[in-house]
Amino acid sequence: MMCSDREAQLNEYVDGTLATGARALVETHLAQCAGCRDAVAELRALVAGAAALPKSIEPGRDLWAPITARIVQRATWNLQRAFWRGALAAATLVIGFAIYRLLPSSTVQYRPESTGWIAVRTEYDHATDELTRALATERDRLRPETVALLERNLGVIDAAIRESRDALARDPGNVELRGLFAAAARQKVELLRWATRVATSS
Amino acid sequence: MQADPSDLIQRAQQGDQAAFEALYRAHVGRVYALCLRLTADPVRAEELTQDAFVRAWERLASFRGESAFSSWLYRLTVNVVFLGQRASRRRALRVFTTHDPGAFERPGDAPGTAATQLDLERAVAALPPGAREVFVLHDVEGYRHHEIAELTGIAVGTSKAQLFRARRLLREALSK
Repeated sequence: MMCSDREAQLNEYVDGTLATGARALVETHLAQCAGCRDAVAELRALVAGAAALPKSIEPGRDLWAPITARIVQRATWNLQRAFWRGALAAATLVIGFAIYRLLPSSTVQYRPESTGWIAVRTEYDHATDELTRALATERDRLRPETVALLERNLGVIDAAIRESRDALARDPGNVELRGLFAAAARQKVELLRWATRVATSS
Repeated sequence: MQADPSDLIQRAQQGDQAAFEALYRAHVGRVYALCLRLTADPVRAEELTQDAFVRAWERLASFRGESAFSSWLYRLTVNVVFLGQRASRRRALRVFTTHDPGAFERPGDAPGTAATQLDLERAVAALPPGAREVFVLHDVEGYRHHEIAELTGIAVGTSKAQLFRARRLLREALSK
């Protein structure tokens, strides 16, 4: 029978984690105590037995079919989620342009291009460039179908941005056009931010 | 001819399910053994094995080859098991039944070795959960206490205490 106050010490001794001094003390004790010697032998046999247990046990049934079903189900769900996010972004822009085109010309006020507006535009451009660069480095981590969907949605948003930029070039002080440009740029920043987040968390 | 594992991993990372199936076939025994020994419940172990491979598929892109794929997969499996364990312990206290010794039996084992190992497997399965988990991770899987602490969220001192307790209970059970 092992000395009850030596359980931790004998376990550490068997594991080889005792410092040299403590190890020597245990060895001195073992030389005098048959109970602790037996306990050390049992512990060694137990540790060796555990290490020798087979590392592999086959499950009772093939689990690949349920795994593949879950993988496909999740991929479909992720794709649907990404599609609806993109579709929502595109729909918002289309509706925005439609409203703009329906507005009477009297609502379009001329204002000279202000410093504040330039700053806002620069900020969007900067954020978009930064996120595009970040996404370019993480892009490989996205699944091909997600990349395809992302590119399709970015194409829609970029077309809207181009259109509002062209319109603003013709009518630089138009408040509604600025609003539409800002909405499209915001959508692009949000979509890029989402894609970067998905890529880095996957 | 067996495919190169790094080629399989690369193809699986690009979404090739056939390559991922080959990885599954190569590792399922080890993953299931880990789940079975940690839970002592064959049905739960099958569920957790599925969870581990689904999670591996989702996280495959984050595997950058800094460690062996097997180490990455087994660590991920331990994480899946402990997340699942925490959730199920909140729901109900699972009672292990040792009425299914076949869960640990493997065809082709030498009779003497198999009997001794089966005794040990049964004794391990009958340990209290905390002691069993640390024993399996430390003495069977070879993790160190600081790694166990990191994987399970317990303190290093607790990991040691659980290991020593597990070994004491196992020595008692096996000497009967």
